[in-house]
Amino acid sequence: MLTDALLTNRDGIVGARMNNIATPVAGLANSTKNLPRLSPNVRASIFQAELGPTIDVTFEMDEDCNPVATLWRMTEESGSGTRKVCFDPMVAMTAPTMDQLVTQLDLVNGYARIRPDRAAEITTQVGVPTAFFASVGFIDPARTPYTIELLYTALGFSSLAIQRMKYALALKRPIEFSPQVQPIIGTPTHGTLPSGHSTEAFLMARVLWKLLIESAAPQYNDRALWGTMLMRQAARIATNRTVAGVHFPVDSVAGQQLGLTLAEHFYSMCNGGNWVSATFNGPNFDAQSDFDWHQLYDPDGDTQAEEAETGGTVWATSEVRTDNKIDASPSLAWLWGKALDEWKDFGPVKCE
Amino acid sequence: MAELIYEKGFDPKAIVDFVTFFTVSQGPEIGPRADVEWWSVLAELDGISINTLVERLEEQEFGKAFVMPSAYDAEDREKAMPFQPVTFFATSALVTFLNDKRSDVGISTLRVGGVVDTDFLDPEVGPDAPPPPIKVKEGTVVQAFVDDGMGIAHDLFRKKPTESRVYFTKIFDAVPLPTSPSSIGRVLELTDVNDLLTQCTFNDVLDEELFYTRSGQVNLAKDIFSTVANRRSHGTHVMGIGAGHDMEDGVDDRPIICAALPSRVVKDTSGVDLLPLVYLSFHILVKQARRFRTPDGGYAPVVFNFSYGNLEGPHDGTGIYATMFERYFGPGAHADGAPDQKAWLTLPAGNANLARLHAINAKGVTEPRITLDLIVLPDDRTANHVQFWMPASPENNQGNFAKVKVTTPFGAQTVEVRSQPGSVEQILDDQGAPVALLAYQYVAGTTQRGLITLSINPTGSLDPSDVLAPSGLWKIEVRRRSEAGDNPIHIWVDRDDTLPGHGPGGRQAFFDNPDYERFGPLGAPLPVDPPGTECPVRRASTISGFACGPSPIVVAAYTGREAVLSDYSAAGPLNPSPHMMPPPREGPDVAALADDSWVLRGVYSAGSRSGSYVRANGTSTAAPQVARLAANAIEASTVPARVWAQQEVAANPFPLNGAPSAERVGAGAVAPPGKAPWDP
Repeated sequence: MLTDALLTNRDGIVGARMNNIATPVAGLANSTKNLPRLSPNVRASIFQAELGPTIDVTFEMDEDCNPVATLWRMTEESGSGTRKVCFDPMVAMTAPTMDQLVTQLDLVNGYARIRPDRAAEITTQVGVPTAFFASVGFIDPARTPYTIELLYTALGFSSLAIQRMKYALALKRPIEFSPQVQPIIGTPTHGTLPSGHSTEAFLMARVLWKLLIESAAPQYNDRALWGTMLMRQAARIATNRTVAGVHFPVDSVAGQQLGLTLAEHFYSMCNGGNWVSATFNGPNFDAQSDFDWHQLYDPDGDTQAEEAETGGTVWATSEVRTDNKIDASPSLAWLWGKALDEWKDFGPVKCE
Repeated sequence: MAELIYEKGFDPKAIVDFVTFFTVSQGPEIGPRADVEWWSVLAELDGISINTLVERLEEQEFGKAFVMPSAYDAEDREKAMPFQPVTFFATSALVTFLNDKRSDVGISTLRVGGVVDTDFLDPEVGPDAPPPPIKVKEGTVVQAFVDDGMGIAHDLFRKKPTESRVYFTKIFDAVPLPTSPSSIGRVLELTDVNDLLTQCTFNDVLDEELFYTRSGQVNLAKDIFSTVANRRSHGTHVMGIGAGHDMEDGVDDRPIICAALPSRVVKDTSGVDLLPLVYLSFHILVKQARRFRTPDGGYAPVVFNFSYGNLEGPHDGTGIYATMFERYFGPGAHADGAPDQKAWLTLPAGNANLARLHAINAKGVTEPRITLDLIVLPDDRTANHVQFWMPASPENNQGNFAKVKVTTPFGAQTVEVRSQPGSVEQILDDQGAPVALLAYQYVAGTTQRGLITLSINPTGSLDPSDVLAPSGLWKIEVRRRSEAGDNPIHIWVDRDDTLPGHGPGGRQAFFDNPDYERFGPLGAPLPVDPPGTECPVRRASTISGFACGPSPIVVAAYTGREAVLSDYSAAGPLNPSPHMMPPPREGPDVAALADDSWVLRGVYSAGSRSGSYVRANGTSTAAPQVARLAANAIEASTVPARVWAQQEVAANPFPLNGAPSAERVGAGAVAPPGKAPWDP
């Protein structure tokens, strides 16, 4: 319709050819100044192109024949004419044993008792749970469009890592351990550990929390209250997947470790600086333990636990790495800056 | 007569309690059964001490077949009194032994409760040492709650973020702690709760999921469940109304003590399961309440609230419930050297007014022969019990007042018993397995009545080996004989429904007589029996079986916006008894707010998590409204609890439309206790 209109319209007004029109200046090559003029989906491709190559996943069996998936982080580029890159291990994840998952099934069955209470949350959190984080931080498409774009950029990137890690570990879902789990939503076809929802929820929570901290707004920096609530929200979203019957609690633990570490990597890709190298050793996790997010992270100081242990057995580690830093991506830095501006206060008006 | 298939030597006259017999021999719930099951048991000791009972059981080689609660201290165990009620835990074998009068160990009555998880029992724990006193300031009033799903970490029960007002919590469904030994469940003292609050607070925010896991109330891996895992929990809501205060106010003169009943007991809502642990709860909390001492050394007054109801019992002011409450809250509560502590109790009137769970056979009211259509629902996983209470008569001359005939659905079988000792009939399925029991027994003590009980197996199970009763219409015929004279025969169906937040279990059986008028001419439910009706099924006398004693304040429910008594609020009168004349009450004492309006059912109070508020209704929510008022009044009051309640109505009335009778509303409706912490 519009095309027909434009055809007849041009015929009506085009007139004879104009000559000697001034030539435009050349486009600004590889500049973030172009980004605001690009549509969001084009920007999304650019951002994913920046982030995607920064990771790689390898797989091996450890000496006890447990599957180990390692998420590597690209750390260096060098050379001229040819490109050479190095990778450091960012998240090393060892699968829990089948016996551990059998033990964890008791928790899955127990959580089924609160399904009536959580059903509305579970079904509305199948997709990206933006509304739940928006109920803690003031996120709105009109007010914080770049924050939403930033979060979805992080999520889009994390999806690659999540699915590749799941594929590598190939751990079975609760529904394959008992016909009585009877999940109340469809069980996804991919592996159970790490939990994608847990990874994404903690990634979103931490990235958002970093924005709030950097905003320097006094309320956001008061006793880490917003950070704590964001983490509680992430934990609830992760736990709801166990309530639904599609995840073991240990999946949420592994997902939290992956999500928190990816958040730190994403932040360094936006801003440069340190990064975190972490492990999750499933066989060392006490199979009778439930998911407790406090064991891996403290929002006060935005720090991952150096060690998490049960009864003296360490099952997770993290280390802040100050070596092998890589420069921030200019385009991601641009996006971070735009998002951060959405959280900074303007006022108040100073009265004389 | 169908042949009784119980083992050789069975003598129906020797059975102490037929519900206990039915429950232990046929099982109250369908499901996996342990090899050795442990039960909670309430027994009345006939003039012997607990120590003597223990010695006799050990002599009978039942030494490892029972656990005597540590809550009975050395002094309790030495006392020998007539009709002394004692709760303990026993194996099926011991329950069967005790339920036979020929065992002769000094037990006069016996009631079995629910199955107890052995993880929660610690038989090695001896009698508790007397707990140390707690010094409190002048004007302090202790508030005690027996309920389920107690959200003790809610901010309404704290005075600071990590300082609780809950000084004592008994959790029956929890594994005992080595640091705080208890023979059943777990005990949390104030310091335990405060420590948990501190451990579970991160960046000034309390993680209540973690709190209730560490308190032992919720362990989903072990199938230990409390409704505090849900958004709404009965005990939290009730306690919020009765004793909730804004944390910012730092209230320090309303300490709370509470007992959390097991979720399994709550699931099977027949009073049968409740009684032993309820009794033990009161024994424990009464002792705890006595710890609170004012600066002059006196006992701080205490107000108890127990927001539970049932339909079991003689409903005449006697019986095991009334005895229990009179022992702690009646005029004789301070006898035998018991401390002189002022103690009041608020109870709900019950919600059974429209539930069709009560019938009557009385001269001048119904024909001598009445027929009741009992609907037993399909897929009912718990047993159903119907009680037929005879007029009073002495044990040595039990009146032959009535015959009760029961016909199973489609007329497959009919059995009949008389109200005479030894009269018992069993209903068998076509494979010869027992599916129901109709039996007469005599209830002694102050009750002195004959009781016929119809006990029906569950109608649904996933285990094909379980013996199920047929669902559908069970015809019951009650023929009153002239020997009954003017004295009525009352019939009540025990509660057996599934509560919100619990798994599927019981389904409520009810009377579906065709001449029962449910609705008025405009289609609204009739809240009172129509004048002149000859239908034996009645709204009258649906008052909770717990709430018929002389001393507790019994509370009905009203709806605020429309200013009417809530339709479901149960009513008197009581069953007249020559041993309790005049009857101790006509019905409830007062009515309190339980519904904001017909549209906004229920009232707001605490949800399971801090800062959350949810709606719930029923007389369960009305009773704690009065408990709150009572806590403010008990210290200055010089009159008994029920007299104070009547005075409170006069001082703060809430006028109701429709002029409800005294049997429904007592002295009248009382205005709400003022602005609640959750009001805007």
